[in-house]
Amino acid sequence: MSGAPAPLVLVVEDSDAIRAAFTILLEESGYAVAAAATGAEAVRLAEARAPDLVLLDLGLPDLPGLDVARRIKAAASTIPIVALTGRDDPADREALLAAGCAAYLVKPVDTQALIRALPGYIASAVV
Amino acid sequence: MPDLRLTIQGGHEAEARLREVLAREGFRIVEGPRPAEEGTLVVEPDGTGHGHGHSARETARRIEELERTVLELRNLDVAKSQFLTNVSHELRTPLTAIVTYGEILRDGMLGEVTPRQREAIESMIGSCRQLLAMIEEILTYARTNAQAISLQPSDFALEEVIRTVYEMNASLIERKSLEFGSALAPGLPRVHADRDKVAHVLGNLIGNAIDFTPDGGRVRVVARRSPTEAGWIEVGVEDTGIGIDPTHHELIFQEFAQVDASRARIHHGTGLGLAIARQFVRLHGGRIWVESGLGEGSRFYFTLPSVDAAAAPGLVHAGAAERPAA
Repeated sequence: MSGAPAPLVLVVEDSDAIRAAFTILLEESGYAVAAAATGAEAVRLAEARAPDLVLLDLGLPDLPGLDVARRIKAAASTIPIVALTGRDDPADREALLAAGCAAYLVKPVDTQALIRALPGYIASAVV
Repeated sequence: MPDLRLTIQGGHEAEARLREVLAREGFRIVEGPRPAEEGTLVVEPDGTGHGHGHSARETARRIEELERTVLELRNLDVAKSQFLTNVSHELRTPLTAIVTYGEILRDGMLGEVTPRQREAIESMIGSCRQLLAMIEEILTYARTNAQAISLQPSDFALEEVIRTVYEMNASLIERKSLEFGSALAPGLPRVHADRDKVAHVLGNLIGNAIDFTPDGGRVRVVARRSPTEAGWIEVGVEDTGIGIDPTHHELIFQEFAQVDASRARIHHGTGLGLAIARQFVRLHGGRIWVESGLGEGSRFYFTLPSVDAAAAPGLVHAGAAERPAA
């Protein structure tokens, strides 16, 4: 990844500890990170910073995860969104994938697997 | 004589308390589900014992009182279930942070780790994931018990679910050098059931079989048409493990039961796995049971409706569960 600027990942997560952990994980893996703790902030940053990927926690305090995903997609339809949830729910999974999310993952995600999968998600944005 | 219809909802505790109040207040159950099942109870004053000689006005007052009791119990149960959901969420968030930081450390992102440090971190991550799995199980149990769960039946081949569950356990099976196999009767019809729930039941039974079978043992999934119920499939999970004393066969399906405390320490778990399995099987109208003795392995069986069982009572039951999920 030397030379090219690091891809920007927007981490949306209301837990300070988890947000900080993901920031370290991503930065150590060669990504630049923007972070948001609320859905409203996520939508604002997605528009302002045009990230290459959004990691979206679904249990945000202000907005349902599905709404956040839809708003980001409405503002910038090509940004891939990876939805992260604490509770696997088949109906949620279906709704989020239908809304255009690239993946629906149950926390705690296997961080190695996530890092391996990120380039694929980012590449999918071109299509 | 006015009769009264009461819906039992909200788990065994609420149901048992309702039956107690009814008996004390001199009501007799005219029709309704068997004890420990949910459904509609039709009751009337029994005209004997405590309720004897009530005037119509007194009866009406008692009916009102009962309705209030039912409502209170239902609200209490919804509140209890909501509380459990919140607690589970609050527990999961810090655990997720611990697991994530653990993996960051383990993978040397914050500096090189020695093999012994790595081993310690692995063990920490493993314990956290175990805790998370238990929380998930408690939550599943609470939701099902509060009847906030509905079935989403589809048609599928049993092999697919067996394969999924096997893959989830493959590393553990390998680590314990267990021989894993399946034997399905030829021409077995497809299953008509909620696939996620069936996977959960099989996952719990296979997980137990792995846990309680010493290294080098055998775990086998079998399936055939039910010899006693037309249109139903009988699925079994058989192991060569330590077995279960026949006096414990009923106990193990009850909530929070582990046959003995020392085993609970070796074999992690909430003691909810089989209770959840039984709930899910019963939601489909099926049965679950065990055949085993100490030292002779365990054979767990449950029944599922096949696509040939379109008119099976289980599907009527499933329809009744189609309330909006809470």
